[in-house]
Amino acid sequence: MTTDLVFADKVSRRSLWLRLSGLLFRHPAMRGYLLLFPALLVMVAAIIVPLATMVIMSFWSISGYSIDTTPTLQNYQAMTDQPMYGVLIGRSLIVAALATLITVMLCYPMAYYVAFHVHRHKALWLIIMTLPFWTSYLLRVFSWKVVLGYEGVINTALLWAGLIESPLTVFLYSQTAVTVVLAHSWAAFALLPIYVSLEKVDKTFLEAAADLGDSAARRFWRITFPLSSPGVISAFFLMFIPTVGDYVTPAMLGGPDGMMVGNLIQANFGPMNNWPAGAALALVMIIAISISALVFLSLTRLIRR
Amino acid sequence: MDVVDQLAALRQGKLSRRAFNQSLSALGLTAIAVPVAPRRALAAPDDHATYFTWGGFDVPDYFDEYVAKRGELPNFVTYGSAEEAFQKLQSGFVADIAHPCLSDVPRWSSSGLFQPIDTSRLSNWPDVLPELYDVDYNMSGGKPWMVPFEWGQTSIAYRTDLFEVEGEESWDMLWDPRYTGRLGSLGGGSDVWWCAAIKAGVQFDQIHTEDAFVRIAAALREQRPLIRMYTDDTTSLETALASGEIVASMAWNSSVVALQGQGVPVSFAKPKEGALTWVCGMMLHAQAPKIDSAYDVLDSLLSESSAIFNMKDYGYGGVNRKAFGSFTEEQLQALGLSKDVKSVLDAGHFGIPQSAEWDQKMTESWEQIKLGF
Repeated sequence: MTTDLVFADKVSRRSLWLRLSGLLFRHPAMRGYLLLFPALLVMVAAIIVPLATMVIMSFWSISGYSIDTTPTLQNYQAMTDQPMYGVLIGRSLIVAALATLITVMLCYPMAYYVAFHVHRHKALWLIIMTLPFWTSYLLRVFSWKVVLGYEGVINTALLWAGLIESPLTVFLYSQTAVTVVLAHSWAAFALLPIYVSLEKVDKTFLEAAADLGDSAARRFWRITFPLSSPGVISAFFLMFIPTVGDYVTPAMLGGPDGMMVGNLIQANFGPMNNWPAGAALALVMIIAISISALVFLSLTRLIRR
Repeated sequence: MDVVDQLAALRQGKLSRRAFNQSLSALGLTAIAVPVAPRRALAAPDDHATYFTWGGFDVPDYFDEYVAKRGELPNFVTYGSAEEAFQKLQSGFVADIAHPCLSDVPRWSSSGLFQPIDTSRLSNWPDVLPELYDVDYNMSGGKPWMVPFEWGQTSIAYRTDLFEVEGEESWDMLWDPRYTGRLGSLGGGSDVWWCAAIKAGVQFDQIHTEDAFVRIAAALREQRPLIRMYTDDTTSLETALASGEIVASMAWNSSVVALQGQGVPVSFAKPKEGALTWVCGMMLHAQAPKIDSAYDVLDSLLSESSAIFNMKDYGYGGVNRKAFGSFTEEQLQALGLSKDVKSVLDAGHFGIPQSAEWDQKMTESWEQIKLGF
């Protein structure tokens, strides 16, 4: 009796397995979904659900210490009514764009050199260039405080050289400080994609152009630069998107006038205790970043034609 | 099995598979055994209460009694401002003990996150000065919501060599355009808003009115262009004062004591309008997971030695009456304290608890002013 049961169980389990593998065999799409399944699960749990929660929460409001869940446009209304939001969003976009531009312009020659003129130990060169990024982001920002500070490296050096009589206060706690530090902190994210795209440029094109009489500058602008533009564009995105919402750098180096939108979002979720307003602001930022990215992309398309 | 032999064999490429496996298993066993051996030396976080407090109070000096009884320090989590702490607790963080101030008690206790403290379990309680906790909003059926731990003032710390005082010391010092870009301020609304009320001439019992709101906000907006840094972090403030980057700042007693200890010429102003005075202390979480340990932490914090440390090293008033015997009245006066606690608290302005709506509005306005709007 019991052996019969075990046998029946084995058979049914086996047939289930056979059916499943048959299904997978017949439908290639199912195989794809099976492979995607773990990633999809993470995506849904960690991105889609929180994003949906944020959208819903942005239509709520706060009363006293509790959240009022009747839908309202109050949070978005406040953003159009109060100049603060516009100014902070604008400032964040400008600082991030400027920092990105500086970084890409500084990193391009570095990447170019390694891609075209270094022939041995390329990996070592790349490691050395990205070495500063092996320390924590917070530590790097803090060490900039030491460099720019009132009794910092720059001030001490200038004092020692006799160029100034008392320490300058312009370096720290300003938008310039934030821009400079962002440009430095994110350099690796610009360097690597540019390097990869430059590395892939087919050298025979350059030789052909030289044979046909192009000057070095023309060769660069007509062959190397257009071929490396995917790297430049991805460097722009990789750096611009996270820096717009950066919160640590302005909080530590921005001073009263260097605060960015990330600080306001943090304040909403922190001391102001107004999560709905923070959620609404974060959503508006996602839209603002998407729009500026689209503008940038269409601009590059236009230039390429 | 000789380690050196094996290394040599490895170098010559002669290490046998069996020897290699032996070394690997030895390494694995060591790795597993290591965390067991020094177990006693490490803190045992599971056995002790967690104390959620302002940065700077997480020092062993307050826990002599506790360590004597339980062998190790409790666990610490720190914060920079009371708003931040309350926000974290409300979103589900559980610490056995938190460290608010007396004027926070009504809204903290009404959140349902705390329980009144059973003072019969505290051996040091009979020595605690009643004037520091005995107000009706702090008592629930004879039990306090908050047991006091330190009291003091929020006033102006200034460099006597770099800041020239015109006439009497006053809150106008922090609104002095001569020192544009060289003034500092605390960052939390629970200090700044009330100090600005003193400066704007608002009586604290009128602070909830619309008119007071407008006047205080105007004073803070006027001050903002002069300020170099708003900070919740007293270390940054002290560094900036020590280097002369800022010459005057809103500050607590401890910053002044710390800087004077380093020989920096700093004075704690006695503004003619009066300073902001406060009492802070500990509240017990309603779901405190380590309640017995938590009571021992509270008892240790209320001890004579904690109070002496508070007064001597931080310049805050202690709460244990026995501690005052270690000081002369002159020493206490120099710290801005006194044996007559009530006289100091009444000479300044003592914060009055406000409604949740007011608090929300104040924090929101203050954060916006800080950002420049």
